[in-house]
Parts: sequence; structure tokens; C-alpha cells
Amino acid sequence: MDKILESIPGKYRWFDAVHVAGRSTPLSFRNNRLHSLSESENSGFGIRINRDGHTGFSYTNDPQRKSGAVERAYSMAPYGDPENFSLPADTILDFEPYDPAIDSFSVKDEIDAAEKFISDMKSIFPEISIDMGISASSGVMRLLNSEGIDLSYRDSYYSVSASCVLVMDNGVRIDTWEGKSDLRPVEYSEFKEILTEKIKRAQIQEKIATGLYPVILPPQAFSRLAGIIASGLNGISVWKGVSPFAGKIGEKLFSDKFTLADDPLIEGSPYRIPFDAEGVNVSRKELVSGGVIQKFITDLKYAERLGTEPSGNASRGYSSLPSPSFTGVTVDPGSSSFKEMIAGIERGIVAEQFIGLGQSNTLTGDFSASLDLAFLIENGEIKGRVKDCMMSGNIIDLLKGEVYFSSERERRGSVVMPYAMFHGVSITA
Amino acid sequence: MNDRFSEAAEKGRKLLESAGCEFAEIRFSSGVGTTISLSGDNVDSMTSGESLAGSVRVLKKGSWGFATFNDITSIERFFNSALTAASIASPEEKSRVAASKPLIAQFRTEPVEDVNGISLDEKFELIKNYNKILQSSPKIQTTKAIYRDVNSRYLYMNSEGSNLAYDKMHCGISLTSVAKDGNIIQPFHESVSGYGGYEIVRGRENLAEKVVKIAVDMLSAEPLEGGTYDVVLDPRLSGVFIHEAFGHLSEADFIHENPRMKEQMTLGREFGPEGFNVIDDGSISGLAGYIPFDDEGIYPQKTYLIKDGILTGRLHSRETAEKMGEAVTGNGRAIGVMRQPIVRMTNTYIDNGTHTRDEIFNSLDDGLYAVDVIGGQTNLEMFTFTAGYGYKIKNGKPGKMFRDVILSGNVFNTLKSISMIADDREMFGGLGGCGKGGQSPLPVSYGGPHLLVKNVLIGGRK
Repeated sequence: MDKILESIPGKYRWFDAVHVAGRSTPLSFRNNRLHSLSESENSGFGIRINRDGHTGFSYTNDPQRKSGAVERAYSMAPYGDPENFSLPADTILDFEPYDPAIDSFSVKDEIDAAEKFISDMKSIFPEISIDMGISASSGVMRLLNSEGIDLSYRDSYYSVSASCVLVMDNGVRIDTWEGKSDLRPVEYSEFKEILTEKIKRAQIQEKIATGLYPVILPPQAFSRLAGIIASGLNGISVWKGVSPFAGKIGEKLFSDKFTLADDPLIEGSPYRIPFDAEGVNVSRKELVSGGVIQKFITDLKYAERLGTEPSGNASRGYSSLPSPSFTGVTVDPGSSSFKEMIAGIERGIVAEQFIGLGQSNTLTGDFSASLDLAFLIENGEIKGRVKDCMMSGNIIDLLKGEVYFSSERERRGSVVMPYAMFHGVSITA
Repeated sequence: MNDRFSEAAEKGRKLLESAGCEFAEIRFSSGVGTTISLSGDNVDSMTSGESLAGSVRVLKKGSWGFATFNDITSIERFFNSALTAASIASPEEKSRVAASKPLIAQFRTEPVEDVNGISLDEKFELIKNYNKILQSSPKIQTTKAIYRDVNSRYLYMNSEGSNLAYDKMHCGISLTSVAKDGNIIQPFHESVSGYGGYEIVRGRENLAEKVVKIAVDMLSAEPLEGGTYDVVLDPRLSGVFIHEAFGHLSEADFIHENPRMKEQMTLGREFGPEGFNVIDDGSISGLAGYIPFDDEGIYPQKTYLIKDGILTGRLHSRETAEKMGEAVTGNGRAIGVMRQPIVRMTNTYIDNGTHTRDEIFNSLDDGLYAVDVIGGQTNLEMFTFTAGYGYKIKNGKPGKMFRDVILSGNVFNTLKSISMIADDREMFGGLGGCGKGGQSPLPVSYGGPHLLVKNVLIGGRK
């Protein structure tokens, strides 16, 4: 702190700085075998300084040149937009997104577990090719500001992913994966069953004609489309007037079954945070309740611009300015189970994976993507795979119409999602 | 700074001399960059920062160890971490690498106008001016105008005795206008970048004018109906098409340890029509995918992937080349020093054919002209890519404008549906790039001439 103060070349209104440091140990398996083991150790420092209401920013990851970054940030400040918010002084640190069990990460044990998983899968599918990534990391995030805040917290992160490729005799490629993340090393024995079922099913080819069908999106797939909604709830796109939800607080835009919350405190999520990257305290907030738009996420800058209270959604690495983003998103569950949803469908699709989703004009909620992995539902049962077709629609319209959410939910990375079922989604074959 | 860099390099060379393993390499980079990002009437960010990176990769007893760090003064410690990591497991199936003779050379970008000689004020004024053009219609809701330059020094050295240095200057702009009319919101985006200096970004008013015009025009374009179309691809889409529909498939790390894929990608297999040639060439300086050497210390080359419709080559890293018993091609690339090299494209293109653009249009009574690109993706069997927009072609003439033109197909079949190749190839590459294996964006360029592709599936509501 004193060193930063000393390096600031002149008068200032406020400053804040982040220092991040971390170590990680990623293992990589490629084509069914251990390919590489890595060790990574990195740190970085970023500072923004407000002079006369204008903010400058700079960063470095050269441990010996922090004062250079401070000087650069100071000299850049006159170029910045006017910003008149002040920094928090009441930041509370009441937990760390850290589990000491991260230290129990054993490279040898992980290799053994991964080799076992691969050999189990090979015994079912002799031609399968599996890539895996397993990583444990831990680090420290330190935030300090001119209001006297100087807080540090540790974080820990474990992740495992397995990606399976099976090329069939007729050239058809089945490419599917599972992954999970946690604060500490966890088992992933369920991957075997989930992937086996998907691959077995994918070997049977079904046909579907162009038309409108009921479509079920499992949590992972639904989170991709829910992400389009979430980006419209970001204070940046609202301020810029490109969010379809700008100016619509209090309006009912979706089915009353749809409730989406920003939740930086999801239990077990390695993405949870005690306070945001500007030191604003965080809490769970419903952004859409029962289909009605409630609020948008902001950092200090966009809260000032939009004339609201900061929502505690500032996010930043050391090399970037803070900006509003999500550390956790949840969608409320519904009443029927996934099984019951399936049972009610005469002819429809379960869409697991897409190619090219997000390359449409997502600002308006439009999407159009090739079905990378999708299954036919016929007379209440999941059948084989449908492929070489595209799914198109508008997620805002779909969530406005007849939609159902499952009673069960899954955490996928930083999101907790149910299965979502839509009626009448356009399929082009 | 430079002293510490040279000191670390000196220590690195000594470590490599006595590495005691099959192969070892050290990479260092240091960079200083400026980014100015404007949006509407606001300055989103204006940043000047510096970064330092080091990595060690070793192959010991068939296993790779990799260490990354920013404290380059502790190179010995990280060299040992990499060796230790590689020693933890001794796999039955071992990785090997193709050898190369030692390469000793220094490269540098020769800018026409060094970005370091341009004041921050001038850079700010330039991008402010483009941003103003991007806002020049009352229908523009917001904009994004980004200027970026990076000066970096890259050192590569390995246990074969190679010592390569590259002083790189990269400069570019990215321009977006978002037009709005009632509930319709239409963004359009263009980007230009390259290895060189300020000359790359000067005088680009036309590009900004194009962006704002198309964004506004797209407001009145209707979404295209889904179905099957005969499509003329413009040179930019033709480039993205070859990148997605075929380029990734020719990356040998998808093939080298998968017997079925090997079978499918047997050299000599017919992939496209006669006169259809596909090339990857990392040695073309100036283009976004240019590399003086790859991230495994191999010089780039011109590789024919398809010659006259026949599969004739593929892209290799040292490891895939060794495994397949083929020659290295200089395609082992990483997005930065902190990542491991994998097989990647560089500058990939479809070579010119014999038809003119007019001949292609005149051959179509009913079709679609797909123009510009938003993005593309492949799973190595199917691909999709999204055109910026398109026009219906009637009796050889482009007519009404359409938006939401999303094309999809099968990588093994679609190339055979190419029926005419024009002679007007162009190359493209902006501030973005290609993504693979979690490494994105990697600078690449792509291009081709106008192409006619029959029976392309296009998604959309009926």
C-alpha cells in the first residue's frame, strides 16, 4: 500500500488495485494416454487511479515493475470518461472460496483414476479415443483501495473433463464430453454411465423431417441459451441500449415459470466470491421473477450511469478494468421430472450439443445452430440420434411461450439449471 | 528489463545444453501494448500494460512436462519443475518428436511507420474519428471501436541448439456499429490487423463507412427462410468455409492416434473437384497467420492440403509428424508462451480457379449470394458458419438482401459440391482469430476466390 502511494506521481481522488497470484497443476490425457503434466505459477498487478473524476488504468506481471504500472495509470487518466462514483469502504470478507482439501490433490492418484476411467470406457467401446483434462489450482486475490480496504482471500479450484470421440465405420463421428468443477478434488465415477448411455444411443441413427417439434434442453445445453438472456440483463448492454430488456423493469416478458437469479454464493461452486472485484458486497438477486424483469447487474461505473445501487457484479483480472459480469446464474426448477417431460412427448428432440450456437444475432435472442448431438423422442421414449439438421428460434420468444422446467437441476460450472422443454421449435433437416 | 531477459536467456541456454532428456525447449516473451476501446460517446477503456511470460517444455522418457511462469529470473527452478513433472509418470505409450537441425536466426517486423513513434494522442484521435463514422447514421444505437498495438520480443531455444528471436510489431483495429429500429437490433463488424506498424490502421475510413452502411441496411433485411440453396460464397466466406469445412480436419493431431480418422484421411482420397487446390502457408509475411518460425522451432512452409481435388498433405507438429512418419510442416503453434503448441493453421486458402465472378453469377437462375462472416465452427464431421448477410440471386443478378444466413454441412461431402471456382482470391484476418483446445484467439488468415457450392443446408424458420 505504502509503495503504491509513493509511486503515484501527483494528486488523485481515489485508486484501487488488485494483485492476483496463483499456482496450478494441469494434467492432460490425449488419445487415451497421459500426454503432459504441467506446473504453472503466475502473478499480476493492475491499478486504476481517478484524477479529477477521470480514471486511468494499467497493469504489469513483471514483479519488479509495479511502480511503472502506477505511473502509466496516472498518465492515462485524463483520457478516461468522467466517473464520479466512490469506492467502497465497508467491504466484508466472511468466507473464502477455498477448500484446504485442494492440497490433497495427488497427481499419481489422478493419473490412476483417469487411466481406470479410460480403460473402463475402452472395454465398452474398443475404438474410443478419450482426451481428459484434470487440474487443481489455488491462488490469492488481494484488493486494496484508497478508502482503506486491504483484503485478501484464497481461492481453490479443481476441474475434470473427459471428451470422447468415436468414429463409426460409416464415417459418422460421435463426439461428446462431461466435465465438472469444485473447490476440491472430487470423484467423477458418474461420467462413465452418462457418457456410455449417450454414446450407445448415438450409434443408432434416426431421421427427422423439417418442422416444428417439442425440444428438451438438458441443463448444459439450456445454460448456453440462458446465457443469451443473461447478457441482456447486463448493465452494459442496457446502458448501450442494445439489450432487449432496456427500460423494461417491471414488465412481464417471459412465462411466469421463468425465474433467473444472479447468485455469487452457489454452494460448492468454485466461482463463488465473498465480495466483487471492486469490494462491493454480494448477495443472491432475482433478475427475472415469475417472468417479470426485476433488475440488471452492474459494477460501480454502470450503477452510476444507470442511476442504481451497484449490484456487486464487478469482475476483473489484473490486466483489465472492472466490468459487470456473472459469477453464478440460477434458473428456478419446475414441478415435473425430466422423465415425466419425456413421457409426455409423442415426437420431439433432446438437444445436448450444438455447433455454431452464438454466431447469430444474439442481441435479439435469435439462435440457429447445427445439432451436434441430439436424440429423437418417440412415444415418450428417448431413441437414437438425429443429425445433419439445424435448430433455429428466438430464446426470448421461446421463454415467453409454452415452457416447462424440470424439478431436478444440475450445477454446470458457475450455473445451476433445470432441463427446459419448449413447444414448437423449428428444425430444418 | 532487457538485461534480465538476456540473463534469463543465457541461463536457459546452459540448462538446455545439459537437459538430460529427449527434447527440451524454453520460450520467453515480453510485450508492451496499448489498447483504446471506444463505445458510442464513451471511452470504455484505455490501457497500456506490459506482460512477461516464460515456459519450459521437456520430453523425458516419452512424457511431456511443461512449466509456465512470469518470474523469468527463476528459470532454473521452473526448468526443474518441468523435468520433475515429466518424470512422475512413465507411460507405456511414449511421445516422440521429429528432430530438426538447429536454427539460429533473428527476425523482426519491418513497419513502415513504427507505432512507438506515434503519440497516444494521435492514436486516440484516429480511433475517435473512426468511431465517429461508425455513429454517422441516426439509426446507430451504439458502436465499438478498438485500436490495439503490441510490441513484443519472443525468444525460442531448444536442446537441439536452436536460438530464434522475433521482434514483433502487431497493430489493428476492430470496428462495430449496432443499428436499431424498434425491436430490431443489427450489429455489423469489420476488423483489420497485421504485422507491421501504424500504416495498417491509417486511412481506414472506408472500412468504417462500410460497417455503418451494412448495419443500417440489415435493419430492413428479412431473415432468410431455412432450406437447401445453391450458394455463391464471397472470398471471405470462401476462406472461412475452407478453414471450418476442411482446414481443421487436416490438423494431424486429430488423426495421428485415431485409426478410423487415419483411414478417412488417407492421402490420395478424393475430396473435391478437379482444379480445386487448398494451401496452408505460414511464410507469407504481412498476413495475420504469418510466423517466421513455429512455436516448436520449425520454419513454416507452403503445404498443399488438396491438389486438384485430391488429399495431398496435412498439418503437423513435431509429435504428429514423427508418429505418422511424415515431414514436419511448421504448424506447431500456441496462442502464447504460457500454452503448449498444438497443430494449428496459419494462412489457409483456396487457390484461384478458372472462372470469373460474372460467369458464376450468370450460371445461376435461382440461388443465394452469401457475403461476409460472423463466425464458424466444426466438429470435424459437420460444420456451420454464419454469413454476415446475403442476397437472393435471380437470373444471375443479386437482388433482395437477407440476414441470418447460417450454413451447415458435412465436411466429407460438401467440398464435392463445389461446382465453380473463380479467379479473384483475396485474404482476410482481423484482430480476432481461431480457437482450438481452449486456445483462442490464434491469429490466422483465410481466403479464397468466389465459389459456387450446390445444395447447402441453411438453418432458419419457415
